[in-house]
Amino acid sequence: MTFSKQFSPPFSPVLLLGLALRPLPPALLNPLLGRALVIMRNRHPEIFERLAELDDPVFLIDPIDLPFAFLLRPGPKHPSLRTISDPSKVKPVATIRSSFLQLIGLLEGKCDGDALAFSRDLVIEGDTEAVLILRNAIDASDINLMDDIFGSLGLFAKPLQASVGIMGRIFNRLDDDLEVFRNAAFRPIQQKTAAQGDEFKSLQGRVHDLEKTAKTRSGREIIS
Amino acid sequence: MNSPLEIVCPAGTPAALKVGIDAGADSIYLGFRDETNARNFPGLNFSRSELSEAVRFTHDRGRKVLVAINTYATAGNMIAWFRAVDDAAACGVDAIIVADIGVLEYAVKHQPQLRRHLSVQASASTAQAIKFYQQEFGISRVVLPRVLTVGEITELNQEINIETEVFIFGGLCPMAEGRCSLSSYITGISPNKEGVCSPASHVRYSEEGGQLISRLGGYIINAFKAGEAAGYPTLCKGRFVTGGKASYLFEDPTSLNALDLIPALMEAGVCAIKIEGRQRGKAYLSKLIPEIRSMVDAAAKGDMMPSSGLEMIAEGQRQTAGVYKKSWK
Repeated sequence: MTFSKQFSPPFSPVLLLGLALRPLPPALLNPLLGRALVIMRNRHPEIFERLAELDDPVFLIDPIDLPFAFLLRPGPKHPSLRTISDPSKVKPVATIRSSFLQLIGLLEGKCDGDALAFSRDLVIEGDTEAVLILRNAIDASDINLMDDIFGSLGLFAKPLQASVGIMGRIFNRLDDDLEVFRNAAFRPIQQKTAAQGDEFKSLQGRVHDLEKTAKTRSGREIIS
Repeated sequence: MNSPLEIVCPAGTPAALKVGIDAGADSIYLGFRDETNARNFPGLNFSRSELSEAVRFTHDRGRKVLVAINTYATAGNMIAWFRAVDDAAACGVDAIIVADIGVLEYAVKHQPQLRRHLSVQASASTAQAIKFYQQEFGISRVVLPRVLTVGEITELNQEINIETEVFIFGGLCPMAEGRCSLSSYITGISPNKEGVCSPASHVRYSEEGGQLISRLGGYIINAFKAGEAAGYPTLCKGRFVTGGKASYLFEDPTSLNALDLIPALMEAGVCAIKIEGRQRGKAYLSKLIPEIRSMVDAAAKGDMMPSSGLEMIAEGQRQTAGVYKKSWK
């Protein structure tokens, strides 16, 4: 299992979890993902209806903070969702890259995809139209992952929901702790870099002014 | 206390419409799933049954639905536009937003009871042009093109006696609306006839040599350095090399944000403010509409408006008040 080398993942609990999971084969998740896709098809058929205008597309969903990616095939003939360790072995219609939590936020309509793309926190490659159709189909639905998944578990729903709630609280605590660590470790470097950036800008401005003055002078010399 | 401005909110899907209404919009504008509206994007817009449901949902909450039928009809094949007018009327919408004079005439003759708004796509920016549309086609409201200062809007409102609506936030088109063929020049498709500017089918992004390259129809439109905020590849916001230097010749990738002008626009006699972005998702509306609602309500009471923190959702993460605060000649 490998991380995307081209993109820097955020320093988050998901990244740490991904590192911890690295020795395990991601294919272990495939039965769960297959079940999740069946639940989605049953609870949100309108998404798959809106996707019908695409011809059996395959999307590579690449969470940059996990050491594996997902291969989504939402077409009506062979719908599937599975993990993939080496994305270079597939030819998807499009690739969607972001952090895992932002991808979940997009799925649930809580994150603004355009804003993430403008800030470069979301990277799209390949067929932009296919991605837009997928985004619009998902956004037209009211997906709530926890409600959708627990809603299909019957008697097991309550205890599992309680366990996930506890895990969520631990995750948030860990995220807060990491924020403190990030600030302690990186803020001095960030401040230094920002100061250097300001100095560079000011020097750039001075060079620009000098160039302008030199141009005006040489123009005057030519005229005279 | 001034009467609050009507907040006209975009919706590309039924889910977005519900978000907009719940967040405090007064009216929702939307389009059918075809080339009759200027946001004919894949997977977006409303079917006839979705529109009926949307009208019921919106009217139950005392708000309005406006349907954009604002592209220019194809010569010899106007059926889709005529059907859109009839279907909008049958669904019980509150108004249609139209630019084409042929479509306007059809609406006057066949659905005279249906309120007509003049789309920004008609680019009517003078009292003479607006009066013409009012006399000939009985329009009740004009959506003003984004070429007027607040002072010019004030003067215009003194010369005409219909409602005016202005864009307040969102994607900014720097060209003459309804007249621009730049997209067509590269892709063969334009917002005026097909309802799409720079269609996604012709757009490609790729990471090359540490830069994000955006292409339209195979042509490089922009190259963003690492960490630089990106934009959508429209020709008018492309970065071109002239005289050996890359720069934005027409407009930077930037969005309109004239929210701090809400009190001035109220004073200018504007009755409605419009948010661009039928192609944006629910998250955009759920962040934007409550902020605008609180600003409009504060301005109507004469209170200080709360400041907004909306630059992160703007294209290129940069904003401008555009021509409303014109600082050039």
